Amino acid sequence: MKISVNFNGRNVDADVEPRKLLVDFIRDDLHLTGTHVGCDTSSCGACTILLDGVAVKSCTMFAVQANNRNITTIEGLSKGDELHRLQSAFIEEGGLQCGYCTPGMIMTSAWLLSNNAAPTEKEIRNGISGNLCRCTGYDSIIRSIQKASSDRRGGRK
Amino acid sequence: MEATERFVRGQGRYVGDIELPGMLHLAIIRSKYARARLLRVEGGISGRDLSAVIPDVGEGARGESWKIKQPVFATGQVNYLGQPVAAVYADNRYLAEDLMDSVDVSYEPMQPVLDEQEAMTAEPIHPGLNSNVATDQFIGKDFEAKDAEVVLDDAFKIGRIATDPIETRGILVNYDGSRLNVWVSTQAMFSIRNGLCATLGLPITSVRVMQADTGGAFGSKSAMYPEYAIAAFVSMKTHRPVKWLESRKEHLTASRPGRGVSGSMKLFAKRDGTVIGLKGEIIVNGGAYLDGLARFSPMFIGMQLTGPYAIRNGYVRAISVVTNTPPLGPYRGAGRPEAAFFRERMMDLLADELKLDPAEIRIKNATDQVFTNPFGMRIIGSRQFMTEAFDSLEYYRLAREPNGRRGVGISCFVLVPALMEGESCKLKVDNGRIKAWLGGNSHGQAHEVFVRKLIGSTLDVPTGVVDVQPGDTDMITSGVGVWGSRSAIVAGYATVLASQMLKEKVVKTKGLYTPEYLLAGNYEAEVLNEKFDDPSLNSFGANLVTVEVDELGEVTVEECRSYYDVGNALNREMVKGQIAGGMAQGISSVLYEGLIFAKDGTLLTDSIASAGVPPARELPHFVTGITEHPSSLPHGAKGVGEAPTIGVPPALVRAIEKATGVRIRNIPLHPEVLIGPEK
Ligand code: FES
Ligand code: FES
Repeated sequence: MKISVNFNGRNVDADVEPRKLLVDFIRDDLHLTGTHVGCDTSSCGACTILLDGVAVKSCTMFAVQANNRNITTIEGLSKGDELHRLQSAFIEEGGLQCGYCTPGMIMTSAWLLSNNAAPTEKEIRNGISGNLCRCTGYDSIIRSIQKASSDRRGGRK
Repeated sequence: MEATERFVRGQGRYVGDIELPGMLHLAIIRSKYARARLLRVEGGISGRDLSAVIPDVGEGARGESWKIKQPVFATGQVNYLGQPVAAVYADNRYLAEDLMDSVDVSYEPMQPVLDEQEAMTAEPIHPGLNSNVATDQFIGKDFEAKDAEVVLDDAFKIGRIATDPIETRGILVNYDGSRLNVWVSTQAMFSIRNGLCATLGLPITSVRVMQADTGGAFGSKSAMYPEYAIAAFVSMKTHRPVKWLESRKEHLTASRPGRGVSGSMKLFAKRDGTVIGLKGEIIVNGGAYLDGLARFSPMFIGMQLTGPYAIRNGYVRAISVVTNTPPLGPYRGAGRPEAAFFRERMMDLLADELKLDPAEIRIKNATDQVFTNPFGMRIIGSRQFMTEAFDSLEYYRLAREPNGRRGVGISCFVLVPALMEGESCKLKVDNGRIKAWLGGNSHGQAHEVFVRKLIGSTLDVPTGVVDVQPGDTDMITSGVGVWGSRSAIVAGYATVLASQMLKEKVVKTKGLYTPEYLLAGNYEAEVLNEKFDDPSLNSFGANLVTVEVDELGEVTVEECRSYYDVGNALNREMVKGQIAGGMAQGISSVLYEGLIFAKDGTLLTDSIASAGVPPARELPHFVTGITEHPSSLPHGAKGVGEAPTIGVPPALVRAIEKATGVRIRNIPLHPEVLIGPEK
């Protein structure tokens, strides 16, 4: 089936098999390998992307369902060399160890902060509970998100 | 670019991200039964095409395999659910999965033996064996405790759990006509190289293993696995690159799980709380095929049963058995958490029996000097550490607070790091920069940070001139791997030694050492350090946990605190990050994790959620306290990685026991135990 999708601000036209999952289209056809796969039961969130600004697990959709939609992947979050403030905050607060959950975690956080500029710790815990991290115990991830949110409140980048 | 920056940008290079032209994808047809006769396998690649066995490499390897060896493909009989039976390959994963239907397998199911205690008396699972008992040894010395005023016994069980890194296993093999080039998600590239060579009968020089970015491992990624041999075989057969990526469902049966141990303990003590001796029996569920780790595990657990206490008498029967479950592997701690759980449970029981405070009992049995236990394990004085620990953890304040459905638990342990065989480091100075290679590389521990720091401080150069290279068996002569809380100690020490060697080389050519001389020249140094004999490398730790338990048995962890002697911390924030992540696993290994099999061997917990990887909302904030008493090594390092999975479970279980009044003997814990008739 022919689809047309806007990926990270670029239009992509493609012919995809109807059964192809969006995550496989992103990884195998577009070679955007920052979107990861960690499970087969839509439990882990490693594949999270933004679909028209909303965090979605890209393993729960077929590529054809993305027709005429806007998708942001982790590769589209930074502006060239300049990191998104969530990306800088994850580095500064040690919000990652092996890095495998990180892109999905950051995409969910971006969506969380777009809905709630200054979430409480509890709101963050609930907000990221669709994303699993096996390395950090989450404390450093929560600090990273708090840092990115307070940066925003202070009017800084 | 720094690894962390690559990761936040989505520019990691995990094995699944690597594409080669003409690449094939492999899919594995696995046994549907825990035990069955294999009547027919038609289609795909199977044991008829590749008849080979898996060698004993990786964490805990003892060189020689046990007499029943794990085949790459099962033939004749399948012995665990998920065991590889056949394989197919195609141009992409979808097509490969479609092809799986073309393989016809028929089974005649048999009654499986799943549990280690059942295995002791059940009929042997492997044809030709007289029993399921693989090893059965006594360690320590039998004793009569005539002066014992109190004798307590109890029995415990720790169920199997899955390591569940968020990146599952994966491998990419490209046979170029003469050599196998391998990219793999691993803790131990040399184990994979040696494993592939031994399985396929290839010379060492014909395999090059490169470690891809590795998305966590926790023990499951150091062994040789059948899928790696199959991928290599198909690549050699087709002359095309072959990729295999494990699904989560596969991970839960095809990757090696940890724990699965029963222990019965008998403690002899005086009424003042002094423990005179302990006796015990440890039975380890080794799974269907036993490698060195599974055979050594019961003795390793037994050896640590005295922990940080000066217990002078000990006698332990250490048994490992085969069962129809996946072969046992290490899971963060690998024997250490089991020993701590059995021992700390007994210390709490003794405190209750004598109506003494659990902290007091522990301090009473601590030692002021170097102590060698009945099994040969050596520790330095522990009393001072424990006294500090209980204060720092605020145990006395928290224990006094009114509790209701709340409870407080503490634990003490000694972390015995895996130092055997040491580790290697190679340094090369060229063009004003220093390149560093290690024999064992990071899968989330950020080795590059301590390597840079140690090279910088030893050679007096800015850390910015150091480039830590990805793991590659072609670039360094030998190496071991990353497990057992070893890296900061062994890889750190190798880095210091290699740096010193560079220094000497500069002195030899220039008459004296200056960083300028070094960076202006071309120098190379490579070391493999092997000898460690310092009881202070066995480091102490203590944990405190507080919980609230509701009427339905739902446990909420309120406080989870550590106090660990981490030696000279090479980077405090990263050490604390490791501790927090480990404490999360300490909690989940008691409350959420578990591989639960039905009686017929079917896996009931077949997703990452049901196997118990907890989300943020189920975990507390962690208080990561450390103290730094340097070891005798030049960089003062001690181990830390496994400390939390050792210390948290006994403290958590004690807290739950205090909150509910139910004595807990088995983990993972099921809430019904806390409200059921047992109470
Ligand atoms: S891959 Fe796990 S939720 Fe999508
Ligand atoms: S950093 Fe490893 S899974 Fe989150």
